Amino acid sequence: MKTLSLRNLGKTYFDPYAGAHVTAVHDVSLDVEPGEFISVVGPSGCGKTTILNMIAGFIPYSKGDILLDGKPVHGPGPERGVVFQSFALFPWKTVLDNVGFGPKMRGVPKAERDRIAREYLALAGLSHAAHRYPNELSGGMQQRVGVVRALANNPDVLLMDEPFASVDAQTRMTLQEELTRIWQERKPTVIFITHDVAEAVFLANRVVVLSKGRVLDEIAVDLPRPRVWDDLVKDDRFKQLSARVLQMVRAA
Amino acid sequence: MNPMLQIWAGYTRLTRRWPGIAAVIPFIPVLALWTAVSEAGLFPRAFFPGPADVVRAFFTLTYKGILPDYLQDSLVRLATGAAVGMALGIPLGVLIGTSRWAHRICWPVLLFFQAIGDIAWLPILLIWFGFGLTTMTFVIVYTVLFPVVLNTVLGVESVPRDLSRAALSLGASRARVLWEVTLPGALPNIITGLRNGLGYGWRALIAVEMIVGTSGIGFMMFDARRAGSTVEILLGMIILGLLWYIVDAWILAPLERATGQRWGLVTS
Repeated sequence: MKTLSLRNLGKTYFDPYAGAHVTAVHDVSLDVEPGEFISVVGPSGCGKTTILNMIAGFIPYSKGDILLDGKPVHGPGPERGVVFQSFALFPWKTVLDNVGFGPKMRGVPKAERDRIAREYLALAGLSHAAHRYPNELSGGMQQRVGVVRALANNPDVLLMDEPFASVDAQTRMTLQEELTRIWQERKPTVIFITHDVAEAVFLANRVVVLSKGRVLDEIAVDLPRPRVWDDLVKDDRFKQLSARVLQMVRAA
Repeated sequence: MNPMLQIWAGYTRLTRRWPGIAAVIPFIPVLALWTAVSEAGLFPRAFFPGPADVVRAFFTLTYKGILPDYLQDSLVRLATGAAVGMALGIPLGVLIGTSRWAHRICWPVLLFFQAIGDIAWLPILLIWFGFGLTTMTFVIVYTVLFPVVLNTVLGVESVPRDLSRAALSLGASRARVLWEVTLPGALPNIITGLRNGLGYGWRALIAVEMIVGTSGIGFMMFDARRAGSTVEILLGMIILGLLWYIVDAWILAPLERATGQRWGLVTS
C-alpha cells in the first residue's frame, strides 16, 4: 500500500469563451495514508471534481505535484481506480466481463480473470447477475458493479466521484452501508468526492472541506465501525460532526 | 364484435406467427390493381404488360442464364464497392471522430465532396477511366463512403467520455481503448452508415450500369429499352425493389437493432 500526496496542487485553464484564465484549484495539499477513507466535500464549483480528475490523470495539473509513494503521476493508470457518477460500465460487455476488464488489460488469462471477477461480484452480492448486461440492471446494481470493477483491479487508491448521486435515496443508504462494509473487509485507500455532508461523515475517517479551490479544514471522524444508518441517525456524535461540517460547507 | 376487429385480430395473430406474411400482404392490392389495369386492355400489351408476363420473362431469362449472371455482376460490384467503402470509411471516421484536428481539417472537405453526388462524377470519370469497371467501382465506393464516414464520426463522438476514461484507469492503452471501447461504442452507428451507404450504392450502381455497363441489372433494363421490351424493364425494377427489401429488412435492420438495443444504446 502506498501513500498519496498532493503538494500545492493547482489547476488553471484557459476559457476560450470568456477569453480569460480561470483558476479552479488554487493550492491544495493533502496526504492520504494507506487504508484511509477520505471524503472531500464542498459546494459546487469548489474544485473537488477537478482535483479528482487530476489525481486520476484525466486532466493535467498546472502547478504542484501529485505523488504516489513519492513518485509523480501523470495520465491515467491502473494503480488509481475510478468509480464514476455515470457508472461508466461497458454496455456491450456482461457484468462478469466488465469486472474482469482490468485483469484482462493486465494480460490475466480468461479463466483466472473470471475467477477474480466472480470473487468480487460475490463481495457485492451480485453473483446472480454475472451474465447480465448493464442496461438490464437497476442503477444501484450498476454502481455496485462499478465499485467492484475498480476494486478487482487492486488499485492503490480508489477515487470515487459522487458515485451515489444518481441513485434513489433508499438505494443510496444501502450502497453507503455496503461500501463501509467492503472498505472494512479490504481496507482500500479511498478518496470520496461528494456534496452530501451526511454521506461524507458516514463513510470517512477524515472529511476534507474545500472552498474556492483551497482546503478550508479537515475533520477527523472517530465514529465506531461497522456503521449503519439505523444507529447513526440516533448518534449524537454523528449529528455533531455532520452539523459542524455542514456549517463549514454553507459558509464556504 | 365488429367483424373488422375480428379480421384485424386474426391478421395480428397470423403475422405474429409468420412475420413474413406481413411483408407480403400489403403488395396484394398493388398486384391486383396492376393486373386489373393490364387486363382491362387500356394499353397495348407490349406497352403495359401484366404480372403474368413479367413472371414469364423472369423464368425465360433465368433459364437462359442471363438474369443470374447479371444479378451476380451487380451484387459483386455492390459488395466490392461496399467493402472498399467501409475499409476506407471506418478508419477515416474513427480518425475524424477521435482527433479534434483531423475533424477541423477534414470536415469541410468532406461536406464539400459529399455535395458532388455520385453521378456528377461520371463525366470526368469517363474521361479518366473510360467505360469500365474502374468507373463503376469508383462511383460505388464514393457513394458508400460518405454515409459510413459521417455515421462513424457520429458514433465515435457519441461514446461517453467516461467510458474511455474508465478503460484508461483500468489499465488499457490508447490502442486497447480504441478496440475495446471506441469501436464497439460506435458500432450501431457504423451499421446505420453501412445500411444507408448500401441503399445509396445500390441505386447509384443501377444508374451507372445504365450508362457505362456491359452487364448487370441496370444494363439489362437499359438494353431492354433499346429492344422495346417493357417486360424486362418492369422485371428489372421489381428485382431492384425486392432484392433491397430482402437485404435491408432481413439482414441490415435486424443487425442494427441487435447491436443498438441489446446494449441499451438506442432507446426505442
